[in-house]
Amino acid sequence: MNPSAPPKEFVYAPAILILSQDLYPRKVEVVREYIQNASDAIDSFGAMAHLLDDTSEPVIKVSIQGRSLLVFDNGIGMGAEDVEKLRYIAYSEKKAGEEAGYKGIGRLAGFAVAEKLKISSTRYGDPQLHHFEIRAKEMRDEISQNKKKGFVETASEVINRHTDIWSTPADDPKDHYTIVEIRGIYESCSELLDGTRLKEYIGDIAPVDFSPEFKWGSRISQWLHKDVPDYSPKTIYLSMSNGERIKVYKPYVDSMSISEPQPIAVRDPANPNNVLALCWYATKGQQMLDELRPSGKIFTVDGDGDKKRFAGLVYKLFGFSIGDRHLPVKTLWDRSFPRALWFTGEIHIIDKEVQPITDRSDFIESDARDRLYKASALIPSTLNQQAQVISYDRNAFKEGETFNVKLQQLKSRLLAKNIEKAELKSIRADLNRGRADLQARIDNCSDPAIEKYGKNVQKFAATVQKELDEAKIIKGGDGDIADVAHELKMTSQARRVFEIIMDVLQDYHGKDTETYHEVAGKISKRLRNKY
Amino acid sequence: MTVQRDLVFHTNPNKDFVRGEYDYAHVEHWYHLRGQRLNYLGLPAPEMLDIITWEKFLNRFTTIEREENQQHLMFLRANVRDVEHRLFSLYGEFDEILLKGRDQLGRRPEWPYDVVNLDYFGGFIYQDLSRPKAIKKLISNQVDFQRSFLMIITYHLRDGDIIGAKASFLDDLRRQLTSSTVDAKTRKAIDRAMDWYSDPNTPDSQRQTLLVNSFLRDTGEAEHFDVLCRPAVLYSGTGSASMIHFVTDFTFRARTAHKTSSKQSMFELVDLGTREVKDAKLIKSAAKAPRLSGV
Repeated sequence: MNPSAPPKEFVYAPAILILSQDLYPRKVEVVREYIQNASDAIDSFGAMAHLLDDTSEPVIKVSIQGRSLLVFDNGIGMGAEDVEKLRYIAYSEKKAGEEAGYKGIGRLAGFAVAEKLKISSTRYGDPQLHHFEIRAKEMRDEISQNKKKGFVETASEVINRHTDIWSTPADDPKDHYTIVEIRGIYESCSELLDGTRLKEYIGDIAPVDFSPEFKWGSRISQWLHKDVPDYSPKTIYLSMSNGERIKVYKPYVDSMSISEPQPIAVRDPANPNNVLALCWYATKGQQMLDELRPSGKIFTVDGDGDKKRFAGLVYKLFGFSIGDRHLPVKTLWDRSFPRALWFTGEIHIIDKEVQPITDRSDFIESDARDRLYKASALIPSTLNQQAQVISYDRNAFKEGETFNVKLQQLKSRLLAKNIEKAELKSIRADLNRGRADLQARIDNCSDPAIEKYGKNVQKFAATVQKELDEAKIIKGGDGDIADVAHELKMTSQARRVFEIIMDVLQDYHGKDTETYHEVAGKISKRLRNKY
Repeated sequence: MTVQRDLVFHTNPNKDFVRGEYDYAHVEHWYHLRGQRLNYLGLPAPEMLDIITWEKFLNRFTTIEREENQQHLMFLRANVRDVEHRLFSLYGEFDEILLKGRDQLGRRPEWPYDVVNLDYFGGFIYQDLSRPKAIKKLISNQVDFQRSFLMIITYHLRDGDIIGAKASFLDDLRRQLTSSTVDAKTRKAIDRAMDWYSDPNTPDSQRQTLLVNSFLRDTGEAEHFDVLCRPAVLYSGTGSASMIHFVTDFTFRARTAHKTSSKQSMFELVDLGTREVKDAKLIKSAAKAPRLSGV
C-alpha cells in the first residue's frame, strides 16, 4: 500500500498499540478486566437462569498454568456472533451504568502482556463451542516494524490477519461458559503468574464476599444487600501452583483487629430519598475492657507488605474498586487528612451515572461525580467527628487505666505500711490531681463502658484516699530524728543541735504536721545522702 | 479469517470399556494398595476422559501436551469439570520432556507418580527409539523415589518394524530361554513357541506384545522393580485404528547389587499373549502361542 495514499478507513493499525500499551501501569491490573467481564457474564446469565433448567453455582475461576493465566466463568457465554465481535476494538453492547465493563477495550488488556490471547466460549443451548485467538506478539511486532518502514495498514486488515475464529461441537449444549487464556505471559509481567499476589489483588479489587474469618462481615453484607441494589458478590476461586484451590475473599479478617463497623448513607441533597452511595467504615480496634474498641490510630496491619495498605476507604462501583484508598482522601477530605487513615472501609456507589476512567484509577469528570462528591462530604465530617469522639474515649480509658495502676500501687504500699510521712503531702496532691484529670476525661467520654470504668476508678480513688487518711501506722515520725542521729553516728553535741533545729521546725509548722514531716523527711534524706 | 477446526477427540465404546472397566479396576486396586489418592502422569486428550473416569482415585494430574490448542482445550475441560486446581499441564513432546527433564517452559514433572498412562498417537517403536528411551528414563526417575507404580501404555498397532528388530529380539529371547534350560522337553517347547512367534503368519500383535512386555520387564528389573506384565489388550479404536494396550505393575524391591527378579517367570510372560475387546467384553484372542509354562 502506498503510504502517501492511505486507505479510506478511520482507524489504522498503530491505534491498536496505543490502545493496548501502557493502559495498565501495574500489570496485575490486567486480570481485573477479565474478572470484570466474567462478573458481567455471570450477572447476565443470572438474570435468565430462572427460565432455564440450570442450577449451577455461578463461579469465576482463576488459575495459572506455566506462563498462562486463565480466567473461567460459567456466565452467559458467547455465541458465534459475539466471538466475531471480539475483533472489534472499543465495541461494546454493554450499557454504561448497567454493567461493570462497557468500553470494549478491556478484552485487549492481555494483549500487552502476553504472546497470545485465546478465548473459548459457548452459550446455553448453543451446540457449538466458539474459539478466538489473537496472536498479540506477532501483531505488535508487525505493526511496529511496518511503522518504522512507514507502511500503514488499516486496523481491520491487521486484526484479521492475526486472529482466528473457529467453532467445534460443544460437549453439552447446556454448557455456558467462557475461558480466557492469556498465553505466553512475558517475564516482565510475571506478577500475573504469582498466585499470592493475585490472591491479594483480587481480594482487594473484585466483588467478592467477606471472609467467614471476619466477624463483622455478615453485618456489613446485610447493609450492602439492603441498600446497594446491584450488590452481588461473586464466588472467585484461585488455583495456586501447589494444587491448592482457595476461595478469594475481601481482605478483612478478625486478626486485623477491626472494631465495630458503622454505615453512612450518602443521600442526594436535592432528593433525600435518593441514596447515592453507602459507606461502611471501622477503625483499628484495641482490646479495652474485654472488647475491641476504636484505638484512634492509623489503620495498620502487621505483615510483609505495606502496613498501611488498608488505611482509608475505597470506592466501589459494581463491587469493583475504583482507585486506591487515597482517592477518597483526595476527593472528599479538605482537612484532617491523617484522621481519614484511622478508618478502613468501602464507599459503594449506587448512582450509576458515575463512571470510572478506563484504568479504573479515578472517575470521569461529570455532574454525577460532582454530585456524589458533594453529597459525600458527609463522610469526612462524620468520620472526623467520630475520630474526635474516639480520641476522647481513648484518652478517658488511657487516663483511667494509668490512674488505676497508680492507685493499685498506692494501695499495696498502704497495705505494706510502706509510706513515709514525708511523702504524704505529695501523694495527696497526686491523688487529687489524678481524680480531677480523670473526671475531665470522663466528662468528654461518650462510650458508656469507658465512662463506667472511669467512674469505678474514681470510686477506687476515693477509697484509697480514705484509707490514706485513716492510716495509723505509717513509716517515719518522731523517732526519725533519733534514727538519723544514730545512723549518722552524730556526736552528742551535733545531736543536740539537730534536735533543736527540728524542734524549731515543728513549732514553726504548728498543726501542719504533714508539711513538717515533708520538710523533716527531706532534711533526713539529704543528711543520709551527704554523710 | 474464520476457519473450522475439529479439535474434538472422539472416543468409542471399545475405548470406553478399556478405560472405564479394565483400566478402572487396576487403578482402583492401586488406589487401595496405596491407601491414598494417586498422582497421575499421562498423555490424555483434551477431554481428559481417563482422568475424569478415575478422578476419585487421583490426586494431582500431570499431563503432557504438545499442541497449544489442545492444551487450551484441556484447561477448558479441567475448569468445566472443576478439577483445574489439580491439573499440572506440561507443554512439549513427552519423550523430550522425559529425556531432558523439563518441558518447553522449563518446568519439571512432579516426580514420583503412582499411575502413568501413556496413550500414544502412533506406534511405540520408531527408528530413534525415543519412546522406549523415554520410558527407561521414566522408570529410572521412579526408582529415585523408590516408588511402585502402575504403567498403562496404548499405541497404534502397526505392522511396521525397524528392519530385523523383532526377529533379532526373538533370536535373543530364544537363546536366553534355552541357555538356562537343560531339559530337552522344555527346550523343544521353547523352540516351538519361538518358531510360532517368528512365523510370518503369526499376527504381529503377538510379537509386539512379547517385545513390549519383555522390554518393560527387563527395564523394570534393571531398576529394582518386580514387574508384573499382563496380556496386551487389542481393540479397534477411533476411526477403526488397531490399538494395543498394556497394563503393567512395577513394584519396587529393596535395592540390591543385582537386578530384581520378578515373581512372574519369563515362561509365564511368553505365555501371556493377548486379549481382545469385542462388544464391550474382554475375550481371549484366537491367536495363541504354544504354552511354555507347565511343560
